Amino acid sequence: MSRRLWVVAGVLVGTIAFSASAAGAVGETVGSCIFEELEEAQFDGIEGEGLSAVKNLKDRYKAGDEHAEEIKTDFEADLEDCIEAPNPILPEVTEIIWGGAAFVVLLALMRWKLFPVVKNLMEQRTQRIQDSIDDADRTRAEAMEVKASYEAELLDAKTEAARIVDEARQQAGVVRADLQARAEADIAEMRERAAADVEASKRQAIADLQTEVSDIALGAAEAVLAHNLENPEVQRQLIDDYINSVGAGQLGQQG
Amino acid sequence: MSERSVSYADAVVSVAKAEGNLDLVADELFRVARAIEGSDELRMTLSDRQIPAALRQQIVEDLLGGQAADITTAMVSMIVAAGRSSDIAGIARETVELNARERGYSVAEVRTAVALSDEQTQRLATALSAATGHQVDVKVIVDPSVMGGVVATIGDEVIDGSVRHRLSQLRDSL
Repeated sequence: MSRRLWVVAGVLVGTIAFSASAAGAVGETVGSCIFEELEEAQFDGIEGEGLSAVKNLKDRYKAGDEHAEEIKTDFEADLEDCIEAPNPILPEVTEIIWGGAAFVVLLALMRWKLFPVVKNLMEQRTQRIQDSIDDADRTRAEAMEVKASYEAELLDAKTEAARIVDEARQQAGVVRADLQARAEADIAEMRERAAADVEASKRQAIADLQTEVSDIALGAAEAVLAHNLENPEVQRQLIDDYINSVGAGQLGQQG
Repeated sequence: MSERSVSYADAVVSVAKAEGNLDLVADELFRVARAIEGSDELRMTLSDRQIPAALRQQIVEDLLGGQAADITTAMVSMIVAAGRSSDIAGIARETVELNARERGYSVAEVRTAVALSDEQTQRLATALSAATGHQVDVKVIVDPSVMGGVVATIGDEVIDGSVRHRLSQLRDSL
């Protein structure tokens, strides 16, 4: 950095010196310029030289000479060239010399006193920035560790949640299967019960019908028997048959 | 058979034996018991404790006087006066049993729809004796529910040849 600074300073001083030499070659004051133009004035067709020529030009212009008017216009343009503003870029040579010297002195002072301070400040600032960067890196590393830990915990939580969901799904499946099995068993039982009820109803109807038929048949038989049993001879015959059967051992005994 | 009925029967048998006509008393007591059992009005009258015992005894004597032995009338009167007319059937049955046992017989309670002749009763006793292997004393009860035929009960044995039984079998088979 120091070398680059000296190069810039050298270029700047060289430029100022070159400009100063050029300005010294062409530089003059407005008064001297106008005086020189008046002193050297000499016009075509106008008598005299210098101030007399200017006086004659004035007279002829006032007399209405057109040629004099043109010369007057040109001469005024030459004078106006003398009162143009000084060069805004190139100062006076002395000013350049004193300015350059001051600049060199100032540069030397800065190089001697200010630059070490600035350098020290810059180094301190650089160190602070580096420390901040290191802290940021460390904090970032810690944050990354925390993030990794959180991500691991999150992964564990997701895994646990997935396991719980899976278990819940399995349990739901088991419960659903159990309920379905129970429902099917209930349906089967209801069907069997309904079939049994139908069968029982059918049997009961058949039994009722048989009872009804037997009652009718027995009623008819009892009516016939009652009519026949009114006959004493029939009664006697029944008793005799009983006595004969008992005597022959044909009637069994009931306990 | 209740213990009380057995005791009354023992008393009747003892008195009848003392009088020397146990067979007659047992047979008449059995008939009287059947008559009382067959008549709701008579049974309720003789069992009614609101009626004085003397009056109930008078009813018994009026019914049996001249138709049964005096000792039989006295035994029935005694039972009615004691307020045991409702047990008279059991007392009569036990009396008959005791009498038959005294003679080495078994009692056959025979139910028929119509009354048996003496000849039928004798033949039936012979047939039942042959069927059971020991002597049988037949006591006939006319029971119209038998409809026809005979139902003989000897102890725990029943020989049922009644029309009612055959109809019941027919009903069961149907």
